Amino acid sequence: MRLENRLRKYRFEHGEITQQDLANEVEVTRLTIHSIETGKFNPSTLLALKIAQYFEVTVEDIFYLVNEGEA
Amino acid sequence: MKRRKLLRIITLILGLATMLFFVYVLIVFSRVRGKIESFLPLTGGEETMILWVGFGLIMVLIFYLLSLYLVVRKIRHSEKMPFLLTALVIFGVIAVLFVFADIALLSDIINQYEAGLDQPEWSLLYPILSGQFVIAVVFTLLHGARFFIRNELKEIRRDGNVFQIVQFVGVICGGMGLTAGILGFFYPNSWNQLVHTTISTLILLFPYFLTVLYWFLVKFKEGDRQFFDEKQQLDIGSSAFWTLIVSSVVMTGLYVGNYYTLEGVIRLTWLPFHLFTVMFLFSLGNIYFSRRV
Repeated sequence: MRLENRLRKYRFEHGEITQQDLANEVEVTRLTIHSIETGKFNPSTLLALKIAQYFEVTVEDIFYLVNEGEA
Repeated sequence: MKRRKLLRIITLILGLATMLFFVYVLIVFSRVRGKIESFLPLTGGEETMILWVGFGLIMVLIFYLLSLYLVVRKIRHSEKMPFLLTALVIFGVIAVLFVFADIALLSDIINQYEAGLDQPEWSLLYPILSGQFVIAVVFTLLHGARFFIRNELKEIRRDGNVFQIVQFVGVICGGMGLTAGILGFFYPNSWNQLVHTTISTLILLFPYFLTVLYWFLVKFKEGDRQFFDEKQQLDIGSSAFWTLIVSSVVMTGLYVGNYYTLEGVIRLTWLPFHLFTVMFLFSLGNIYFSRRV
């Protein structure tokens, strides 16, 4: 199983907030947000919660598990 | 912002003075080179002119360092790492290191002239000065166009770009340090511990030290004083792991390869080899792991 996310969608729905602005809000580097969005990096529970809190949704709304082979 | 504008004006003036200085160097060298190569005596005026070349190089060094500071500051406030600015840092660091090469070559030329020996260093000095002149022109034009005082982003709570710059500088200084160390195996008899090991190691560490110092200052300005975010910690961990493996193999190879000559040049170069191997591998690893797709 692998972790996927809808971070790009949520950024778009929140006034197309930039990766840098989101990084400032959750206090990480822009590259970290970029890596999460492109699936290169799985965030810690703390960071996932911070991101969810910023968008005012649950962690599961943004992050979800996918079986290998599934789209 | 006012401080940066003032810095820009000072750097612009220094840039123009640097370009004039390179013209001055060309005039001085065209006048004295023939005499030095033919071992003819120099006049008092000509000796003074050469002395001013030395003072001028200090100004050139300050110009490059201020320019690099403004470039790195601009990169810090950029959303991504722009290719042009990264290239400017790379060429700027090389230009800084070559100022020390200029001083070493000029000093060698004068010493060999006084000892009645040939000076093959002239053939190295001209290409290096030409490269430095081109870099000075590019920096000065960009200062003139106010390129470095416009910020792309106002607020960055957690730096990522200066950290990347530290890694690029680490690769340059580490790579040059390794190259300098390898030269010891080709010229073991002329290797001097003070000049070729101690001083050259300190010079090659100088830009890295300054960049790390700036990164520290950036970190201290950040509110929570956390040095790395979680992705950077992961990248550093992976990079440190590979650095441990590869540097152990390299240093063991160096030991085995010199097993019967451990009293030779390796005795003088093992520390720079270790330092620059680790710096090069760790920095390269951090660039790779932070950018891999």
